[in-house]
Amino acid sequence: MTTTRYLILEDGTSYEGKAFGSLATTSGEIVVNSTMNGYQEIITNQVYHNQIIVFTQSSIGNTGLDQNSYESVQPTAKGVVVREYENLATDHFKRISLDKYLKQHNIPGIYDIDTRQLRHHLQKVGNMKASIVDVDDEHAFDQLTATVLTNQQVAQVSTPKPYANPNDGDNVVVIDFGLKFGVLRELSKRKCNVTVVPYDTSSERILDLDPDGIVLSTGPGNPNDIKPGVLEMIRNVQSEVPLIAFGLGHELFAIANGAKLNPLFIEHHGSNHPIREIITNELLFADQEQGYQIDFKSVDHSKLFITYLDLINGSIQGLRHRDYPAVSFQFSPDGSPGPKDRDDIFDDFIETMATRRRQAYGF
Amino acid sequence: MDKTILDQMAMQRALTRITYEIVEKNKGVDNLVLVGIKTRGVFLAKRIANRLKQLENIDIPVGELDVTNYRDDISHEGSNRDKFNNDISFSIEGKRVILVDDVLYTGRTVRSALSALMEIQRPKSINLAVLIDRGNRELPIRADFVGKNIPTSKHERIKVSVSEIDNKDTVELIK
Repeated sequence: MTTTRYLILEDGTSYEGKAFGSLATTSGEIVVNSTMNGYQEIITNQVYHNQIIVFTQSSIGNTGLDQNSYESVQPTAKGVVVREYENLATDHFKRISLDKYLKQHNIPGIYDIDTRQLRHHLQKVGNMKASIVDVDDEHAFDQLTATVLTNQQVAQVSTPKPYANPNDGDNVVVIDFGLKFGVLRELSKRKCNVTVVPYDTSSERILDLDPDGIVLSTGPGNPNDIKPGVLEMIRNVQSEVPLIAFGLGHELFAIANGAKLNPLFIEHHGSNHPIREIITNELLFADQEQGYQIDFKSVDHSKLFITYLDLINGSIQGLRHRDYPAVSFQFSPDGSPGPKDRDDIFDDFIETMATRRRQAYGF
Repeated sequence: MDKTILDQMAMQRALTRITYEIVEKNKGVDNLVLVGIKTRGVFLAKRIANRLKQLENIDIPVGELDVTNYRDDISHEGSNRDKFNNDISFSIEGKRVILVDDVLYTGRTVRSALSALMEIQRPKSINLAVLIDRGNRELPIRADFVGKNIPTSKHERIKVSVSEIDNKDTVELIK
């Protein structure tokens, strides 16, 4: 038997749908993802902490979840909205179904909603709060309006303690702002000896680990809400060791070097925007999870190169420091899900670390 | 057995990284000139110049250097050492020269290139950028910018192909 439930938006709009997954009542910021495949990676990505994810892809759930595609251990999204839900996890891998997975993690799902129409609506009204509820009465809307969403998302998803992912290659410290496993996977493939540390670790403690390179991970929330200590840490380490940053890490790297960030009218989640690499004029596609963009006028060109541009919304997709081997990317070159046009960014990082070591020690 | 060490993408990326490192180390592109060692070094130098143009919107001059006459390991009997085959149409006096070659091996090519450059004029500095450093140096020379380090034995050969004359961009190790 299917239960009727409602997706209600802050502007008073209500959508009737049917329930799957958990029957919890939740609230969060509503975001739309237009990627065709990889719903598992999207739902488990910590970028979606406290957010309700809408899929414009028409049918979700028809492949089941597999062991190799989780992007975090504990997903923290607040809901999943789809057009059509298929419970067909019956292939020979004996995968777990989306319905079961969402029940396990107490995340509600709602289907039979015209997600493309919803996308058009949000495009007009911008980012807002939403709830998945049992009844769409006045009380529910009052509750939603009164809901205050946290601005401490990073503190909630970052690891509380350091942990290691040992290997016999370069020594890399990953700063966890809401780490996506895709980055760890790419570093593992290249035999990096990784230590993951909490987001508020001081630069002294990071440099005490004697890293060959430092990664600033992706993460959720507003980069302007981060503790000032984090920006100071970035300024201290970027001049010492090669640094690579993604997503939220990229935004923080920009702020640490004087740039300003503004919220996008509507968050962009998908891999359909062509991105131009300025130095070679080449185009690529990559998974983008973007809620904020760098103010062009605020970029200090005597400090930073703009390396990549989004050709649809014109936003800055990559930066590089002029004086240090420090690079940052708004997009996720590790794919998971989406194109891996630029996963060689990680090879470059390895090569940069090798170059630095050779210059310092001669081997 | 041939083994591809760098494919087209990896080669492009190596040149891109070298370009950024050149700007990083020189704190900009003021007074910079590029000199490629014939034959393939010239094409690589031009590609670096194109990247600098994209990045800084500035035209960096590219010279061509032929060091055949300066080699100490090639017999010069019957050849005329005064006969240059260089094409450096700009002054390098007081400039910061980036010397570009495809492979750094014994160091003898670079040594001859340094002699040839010094004979022309006196640059402020000379830096060396190479796509491949394969080790086995016979002279005290090292590169400032390296695309990829590939430790090799003397029995192996490194073959660099550039699309301008070889119709493909690859680096292969030939055993």
